[in-house]
Amino acid sequence: RVKANAGALTNFEVLDLLNSRGASKDTTRVIASETVSRSEYKVYDYLMETAASTQTRDSVTKFSDKCKGFKLAKAEILNIINLRPSSDVELTPILEKPDEREIDIEGILALVQELLPPLPTVEAHKENEQEETEDGEQPNMETSV
Amino acid sequence: MFCLSELEDTVRVPPSDLNLPLEVAIKKALQKLFLDKVLSIGLCVSIYGIKSIEGGFVLPGDGAATYKVVFRIVVFRPFVGEVIAAKFKESDSNGLRLTLGFFEDVYVPAPLIPTPNRCEPDPYNRNQMRWVWKYGDDEFIIDDSCQQIKFRVENISYPPVPTERAEDAKPFAPMVVTGTIDDDGLGPVSWWEACAPISDAED
Repeated sequence: RVKANAGALTNFEVLDLLNSRGASKDTTRVIASETVSRSEYKVYDYLMETAASTQTRDSVTKFSDKCKGFKLAKAEILNIINLRPSSDVELTPILEKPDEREIDIEGILALVQELLPPLPTVEAHKENEQEETEDGEQPNMETSV
Repeated sequence: MFCLSELEDTVRVPPSDLNLPLEVAIKKALQKLFLDKVLSIGLCVSIYGIKSIEGGFVLPGDGAATYKVVFRIVVFRPFVGEVIAAKFKESDSNGLRLTLGFFEDVYVPAPLIPTPNRCEPDPYNRNQMRWVWKYGDDEFIIDDSCQQIKFRVENISYPPVPTERAEDAKPFAPMVVTGTIDDDGLGPVSWWEACAPISDAED
């Protein structure tokens, strides 16, 4: 009667589903939308701040295929796609017992860099705590009110 | 953290919706029943699609039509060992509470916060305690100035619905995710920013 697990979904696939229903970043959307409920919008907002928001079906599929050579579990590949790690310290917590398996960390990171789009640039939520931009330049922004 | 689940259930379409196309009416009824609700398989986040509809009988004394529907839903159910990015919600002497926006019951109990640490009353918020991690000579505060906090899922539990509750008890959480931030790469993302990423796209 119930098939609890009919397939794991990447964050990208869930975001793609919501997009295909008409979800958008427009501020009037929550009131106007008949196809996307308020609770679904909360999921949409969460996903838009993650790697999923810049991914494409093509890049995710290609990445999964190429991961086959790295001896990773399906769950680990999913987690990598969802988080898009760009350094050793971001990748190792995802892997189970990395020291006991011979995992090509550099290889995986290189593949991520090559195939998965970079993370979205998230606007800082606290205007008073602007951090330096990635290039090290001071942000040239108006001071907060 | 998401997966598809296939369910079969009996759905009642109220008479007011019987003028809608059948699939639309059934989807509407399914959304009311399942959306944003916790089932034994996790938190239902969206109705993915309907596979089959049977029936349409009107039971005696009822104006609504009853259908047997097989459908798939998108469920939030993280796996143990998964690393997830969340935001700070609140903290108290038991530990931290993190939120994903659509799911707010992620708890990091005190033993899963990196040691040595201490818990002190929050100077900015009188009702809260805040946690501070001491690493070498530096101290790192965990509060809502942390943009993103990564945790790893230790456990998911579905507490039974309480039959009696105290007046001021916190709202009941039907699904609770316990997480740890005590490992490399976990905790506030700002703690690890000093570790150089593999290369940066400057060209």
